[in-house]
Amino acid sequence: MERLIEILEDIRPGTDYENCTDLVDGHFLSSLDIIALVAELEDEYDITVPAVEIVPANFNSAAAMMKMIERLQEE
Amino acid sequence: MDPTFLLAGCGKDMTSFFSMTFLFLFFPACLLVYSIVPKSWKKYFLLFASYLFYWFVSGTLVVYLILSTLSVFLLGIWIDRIQMQMKEHIKELPKEERKIAKQKFIHRQQRVVFLGVLLHIGFLLVVKYSGFFVGNINLLLSLSKSTVVLDIPQFAMPIGISFFTLQAVSYIIDVYHGLVKCDRSFFRLALFMSFFPQIVEGPICRYSQTAEQLWQAGPIKYNDLTLGLQRMLYGMMKKIVIADRLNPLVTGIFDKSNSYGGVIILLGAVCYTIQLYMDFSGVMDAVAGIGQIFGLTMPENFERPFFSRSISEFWKRWHISLGAWFRDYIFYPVTSTKRMKQLTSSARKKLGNHFGPLVAGGIALFCVWFCNGLWHGAAWSFIFFGMYHFTLILLESMTAPAAAAFNARLHINTDGKPYRFMQIIRTTILVVIGELFFRANGFMAGLSLFRRIFTSLSINELSLQTFHKLGIDGHDILIVGITVIIVFIVSLINEKGISIRETLAKKNIVVRWGVLYALIFYIIIFGAYGFGYLPVDPMYAQF
Repeated sequence: MERLIEILEDIRPGTDYENCTDLVDGHFLSSLDIIALVAELEDEYDITVPAVEIVPANFNSAAAMMKMIERLQEE
Repeated sequence: MDPTFLLAGCGKDMTSFFSMTFLFLFFPACLLVYSIVPKSWKKYFLLFASYLFYWFVSGTLVVYLILSTLSVFLLGIWIDRIQMQMKEHIKELPKEERKIAKQKFIHRQQRVVFLGVLLHIGFLLVVKYSGFFVGNINLLLSLSKSTVVLDIPQFAMPIGISFFTLQAVSYIIDVYHGLVKCDRSFFRLALFMSFFPQIVEGPICRYSQTAEQLWQAGPIKYNDLTLGLQRMLYGMMKKIVIADRLNPLVTGIFDKSNSYGGVIILLGAVCYTIQLYMDFSGVMDAVAGIGQIFGLTMPENFERPFFSRSISEFWKRWHISLGAWFRDYIFYPVTSTKRMKQLTSSARKKLGNHFGPLVAGGIALFCVWFCNGLWHGAAWSFIFFGMYHFTLILLESMTAPAAAAFNARLHINTDGKPYRFMQIIRTTILVVIGELFFRANGFMAGLSLFRRIFTSLSINELSLQTFHKLGIDGHDILIVGITVIIVFIVSLINEKGISIRETLAKKNIVVRWGVLYALIFYIIIFGAYGFGYLPVDPMYAQF
């Protein structure tokens, strides 16, 4: 989780990523941030994030992102 | 009332939910029968009513809706069968072999999805755009001094095709992605595709949003009825009192634009923007209201767009269902291709976290806005409209770090009211300019109008005499002005997070019904209908 928070801070600093639960719905992350984030997650965790996974439910919080990463790693 | 509306295709005025035929005949009859039939029959009645509605407005073109529904039904089952075969096949295999084995089945599914998209988008391209494409080919031929002139094909266009085609495509793709289960009930899928309040102008619903709700349709509840009526009346006020009253002025200015100078053209652009918003959002209020009466929650298509601080925010609040469709089925799929991801990775290393994703994002954004422009109509002015917004959004993204640094250096409070107000005004001006080109009779006409705003600006033009010439008087201006202020105040309160409808619902019966009656009388007294007014079709129905 720490590494994920670092990645998020690197892409868009200034948000409380540990506690925020509406990163997409609250417009903290833009669609361009999501593109950068997906590229970084794929490199860092050796996963492929298909377009269908890019939904607010998977990106609204760091915990949701971690859950998605673990699921994609298992697949 | 014209009795011939009962004939197929002769009830075209019913495309407006505020027409006499719809309000006093079709809809009340629908509610009556819906209330009488047993609960288990209500869904079938809604399907019957939806097809009857489509029969009235489009006649034999209903065949296309049936074929479209049948094709997505069969394609969904086809994809589902491949998915089941895949599950059966891979469960016998060791884990490490599964991924490779899956690929073969995924490719088969992708071919079915491709066929579905090709069928639906292909048909839309043929009926809606072939005239535009052939016209441009003829232009190129004439420029190359060729004597060949191709015949411009003309097709009858089924009403709402631009809306239900997108619903059909989203269903096929969602089944492929496993987001929804393939529907094995043809009637349920047919109701999702054809539900009469939303087939003319949307919202573009996803299967997961409305299909099951519609199928579970239950008895009408008193609260839903009154709240639904309230929402319908509010929408009717926006459409009949504001949009339709502004119509003669807007039509007069844009149809005889050569007769007017910059001030009147500017006024025309502002009034058209107001007209379009009040018309489209008013109809969407009616759709949401009708849905609520049947106990459904329809997706919202507007979220007070004129409080947006940027163009990208504006498009998250205006025609939300179309924007969301382009985001989910064009923007992210384009940026998620292998090549685009490689491009993003390499661009980020060279250009950093902000500008890096802009390369792939810009390409995807271009695709989105080209399609968005073309979706609105087969003309260069619509493509320009799309490109205009693409450029503005891209510029916003590109200049964001510089703007943030500038604001920080000057210690400007970007969350303060003055700054927010300035951003809202700037966004509104940019939107109005876009709508000027959108409404102009062609791209060149739009350019000429835009130029004239700066070259022949004279405040003397703004007189009651000019307004009389344009078919509106001081009375009209006053009514429109007061009603726009009412809508603005309601929007401002909602924007502050206070739901007026919820607050009203908690009041006693006298207040609740008082508001309903006030809205009814306001529309009867101040609405633009009857002698001297031509009924105005819903503006987005033509798209």
